[in-house]
Amino acid sequence: MVAAWKAAGLSYNKYLAVAARVVRRSLKDEPRLKAERRGQFELKFAKWENGKQQESKPLSTL
Amino acid sequence: MNTFRVARSALRAKPMGSLLARRTYADAAGPADKIRLSLTMPHQSIYQANDVIQVNLPAESGDMGVLANHLPSIEQLRPGLIDIVEEGSGNKQFFVSGGFAVVQPNSELSVNAVEAYSLDQFSPENVKSLLAEAQKIANGSGSEQDIAEAKIEVEVLEALQAALK
Repeated sequence: MVAAWKAAGLSYNKYLAVAARVVRRSLKDEPRLKAERRGQFELKFAKWENGKQQESKPLSTL
Repeated sequence: MNTFRVARSALRAKPMGSLLARRTYADAAGPADKIRLSLTMPHQSIYQANDVIQVNLPAESGDMGVLANHLPSIEQLRPGLIDIVEEGSGNKQFFVSGGFAVVQPNSELSVNAVEAYSLDQFSPENVKSLLAEAQKIANGSGSEQDIAEAKIEVEVLEALQAALK
């Protein structure tokens, strides 16, 4: 059986991130605030072609 | 010719057998009836090579209990409850969001998860409202990505709700 997230074209990494996010959201207020701060991250990436940097995109658009 | 003979006798003086016998799995492992558990997240480790009696895991292939001398295996975990039986202090339970468990040959078990919390840290009201919201999105007419994410959330929250009861 193919998992629903895989059938929808999500990566395993994205699946784990979504599952972890909802676990953090269901905590009681005190641990939740601590955990949600930890859950925020930003990562941008850009490809280099012909010695030039292409447009940089946030990883979340993948 | 002479140097060659010296080299050969030096080799003989250091038998290879002792090198092989020095380190075995049995040396590295703890008590024979215990399993050495590491439960780690990217930001924290709850267990760090602690000896426990049994660990029950929510594996993708089905729930499984791991005792000492378990067959080595790698299991993908579903979002669910990890049940740890410790000597003396009874059971401890943690809800994990998913990850991997690796059973190593020398009675070592490494569980890697993104989030793991004991049940008393969850708010049943939050779970209930999040579940209602996720179900609405999952059955709604949003983008394919939103629906897929909502379905994952429903899966996690239903497991969490069942664990909290």
